[in-house]
Amino acid sequence: MKYSNELKVGISIILAGVIFVLGIRFFEDLPLFRTTYDLETELDDAAGLIPGNVVRVNGVTVGSVDEVFINPENNRVRVRFHVDRDVPVREGTETAVSGLDALGVVRMDLLLGPPGGEPVPSGGFLPNRSEPDLLTSLANRAPVLLDQVDRVMEDLGGVLTSSRTQLEDPASDVRMLLLSVRSTVGALDETLRAERRRVSSILTNVDSLTGALSNAVGGGDSLAAAVQDLRGLVRRMDATLAGLDRTLGGVDTLLGKINRGEGTVGLLVNDPSLYRRTDSVLVSIEALLADFRANPGRYLKEMRIVDLF
Amino acid sequence: MIRVEQLDKSFEGRPVLRGVSLDIPEGRTTAIIGRSGSGKSVLMKHLIGLLRPDRGRVLVDGVDINAISYGELRRVRRNFGVLFQGGALFDSMDSFENVAFPLRTFTTMSETQIRDEVLQCLALVELPDAGPKMPADLSGGMRKRVALARAIALKPRYVIYDEPTSGLDPETSNTIDVLIKDLTRRLNVTSIVVTHDMHSVLDIADRAAFVYEGRMHWVGTIDDLHASTDPVLTAFVKANEYQIGNPAAREARSKEQLP
Amino acid sequence: MARHQFGDKDVSASCRAPNDIPRARPEIRSPPMPSSVPLITRQFSALGRYSVLMLGAVSTLTEWGTYRRNIGTQMMRVGVDSLPIVCMATAFSGAVTTVQTAYQLVSPFIPDSIIGAIVTSSMVLELGAVVTGFILAGRVGARIAAEIGTMRVTEQIDALESMGLNSVGYLIVPRVLAGIVMFPVLYVIGTFVGISGGLLVGSLGGFVPAGDFLDGAREYFQPFDPVFGVIKAFVFGFAITSVSCYMGYYADGGAEGVGRATTQAAVLSCVYLLLADLVLAATLL
Repeated sequence: MKYSNELKVGISIILAGVIFVLGIRFFEDLPLFRTTYDLETELDDAAGLIPGNVVRVNGVTVGSVDEVFINPENNRVRVRFHVDRDVPVREGTETAVSGLDALGVVRMDLLLGPPGGEPVPSGGFLPNRSEPDLLTSLANRAPVLLDQVDRVMEDLGGVLTSSRTQLEDPASDVRMLLLSVRSTVGALDETLRAERRRVSSILTNVDSLTGALSNAVGGGDSLAAAVQDLRGLVRRMDATLAGLDRTLGGVDTLLGKINRGEGTVGLLVNDPSLYRRTDSVLVSIEALLADFRANPGRYLKEMRIVDLF
Repeated sequence: MIRVEQLDKSFEGRPVLRGVSLDIPEGRTTAIIGRSGSGKSVLMKHLIGLLRPDRGRVLVDGVDINAISYGELRRVRRNFGVLFQGGALFDSMDSFENVAFPLRTFTTMSETQIRDEVLQCLALVELPDAGPKMPADLSGGMRKRVALARAIALKPRYVIYDEPTSGLDPETSNTIDVLIKDLTRRLNVTSIVVTHDMHSVLDIADRAAFVYEGRMHWVGTIDDLHASTDPVLTAFVKANEYQIGNPAAREARSKEQLP
Repeated sequence: MARHQFGDKDVSASCRAPNDIPRARPEIRSPPMPSSVPLITRQFSALGRYSVLMLGAVSTLTEWGTYRRNIGTQMMRVGVDSLPIVCMATAFSGAVTTVQTAYQLVSPFIPDSIIGAIVTSSMVLELGAVVTGFILAGRVGARIAAEIGTMRVTEQIDALESMGLNSVGYLIVPRVLAGIVMFPVLYVIGTFVGISGGLLVGSLGGFVPAGDFLDGAREYFQPFDPVFGVIKAFVFGFAITSVSCYMGYYADGGAEGVGRATTQAAVLSCVYLLLADLVLAATLL
């Protein structure tokens, strides 16, 4: 009777102890029988992390947070947590806090270091990789983005301004280039015209020469053939000249077209509205930037796309 | 030897004992008598330190029991066996366990020794078969006898009987009286009987101490008691003697006191 | 009853007590407190008496032999015998909490797993200990007060003392020890049964799938919660058993006095339990 009483008491005490230990381990996401080991990390911002929040590796729950406190030495947030004994936490492993505090689903992720590294000992320290959430990163980067946009716009303005200067300045390179092209073409034309006369006179000389030869020889067949060949040569030379002439005509047409404002360069050179349009684009971009500075919130959502780059 | 010196005690400002002094010699039976409410039970409780006096001393074998520590007091108390009015048996235990209780608590006896001792004590109070019975199943007289067996189990030097016969019919009262007398002689103890039953007193006591209105009114031997001319004492004794010589009246008195 | 009517008047007077508080040993009887004394004085005096009694109990902790034989029995009575009723009550409170939480959560934006979180943390933090406490206040508190109170009015405590036994060590220490040991045991088992009850009713009744229930419970689980619960159970166990022992030890006035002590033990146990609950929550959480 007495023995069985004491037995029952003992059994219930042991039962309660087992339930207590296993229950806590179960609800703390600890493996019921395996052991764990402790690690620490330090964050700038706990983002609502509290003891009991889960620790995950690639989405797999491997432990939970034990303690979150402010490190008095540097005012950063010190976090103590434990992970399963069999999780390969090696050198180079980093921690990151994610989730939304408002929904109460803050968690800590471990970004495991490369395999083969030194294992981190129990009680070891893991650095934190600051991976602020989307809104925070956008807000953080907004000034930088604005600077960048500003710079691009300035550059664009500079390019456009210098283009215009180049085009307007009689001494500018573009203009000189175009002029030299034109004069070269003119010179070429001149040369060709001069040479044609000389060729023509050569041919006339050759003709008279051959006539004299014909007369002198008295109609020998071989001579006649030779003259015939010579005539073919001259004809081919003439054709060559004609090709040169066509080329020159093309250059002439090109220049004419440039002058008439056709093609890209022509547009650049000749279109008077182009500058004005560029100018208005710059003005409107400037307005846009001003507005952005005034109300960044309106653009933050769209800026996210910017961030993705 | 117990000596009570100038004991004062009051409850809620009402004095119950006023300068009571008493010597209780060893090896004799002393009866503390008095009317209900005279303070004799309070006096009895002072003897074993259940109550502390406002003034005065209680010396047991020369030791002032109110000047010693609780642990020492408890050692002194082990010299006493007390038979309480209702028996005060532990009702969670049967009679055997009740008698065995002090033995288990204060001795290192083996289970067989305890068993022998308990059966012996139960035999002394003439209840050899009462062992397995629970206190609730016993009659008032049997309960007192089992309680007496428990009181003498540790072979005390002093046995205190608090109203041993009250609430019992005359025949049972006589049995108890005979038992007390017998045990006192056989165990050679000092007995202190607190009672208002003169029949018991005359039967078993050597000496009587009469407490009247909180004072020790009269102390003497039983022979002196008869010879006394003190009016208060005589009135008290007479009221009882009438019943002693008249069993029917005594019977009637017992009945009257039953609820 | 009979023996009290037979008893001398001075016996009932002595059932009250010495008006001095002994320095060298625990108080045996309650000091007289006539009703003419202001209530507040009586309350403070009761607190003082209670403290002296408990100090007496603590000082006898070393007298292992005095309570050795009783502690197993008391643990049995306080703990094991109370298990069925405690489990039943916590199972039902877990089930009811589940159903009511499910009933109150109508928003589609709140996941069902919240039910598990709410039921688990309520059981662990509050219900497990308090439901167990109320049951034990009624069951164990009343029993202790009645037992000790009866022993007081039938002079069994005087009998213990007259034998040279420390009645405080013999009667109070094992009961209080049994309370502070077994109460956390009952709390742990009761809470386990309560959460299981909630889980079972939640899944069988179609309120929340078992997996969601446990996910929610884990998500919001604080490791300190069960520790706090055990601390609470420990304090409740002490409060209930010590208050009941006190009420019984200073019971006065026969069967009626025992009845009064029993009722007061159950009521005061509940009151002190709630007070302790509040104080602990305010200090430890």
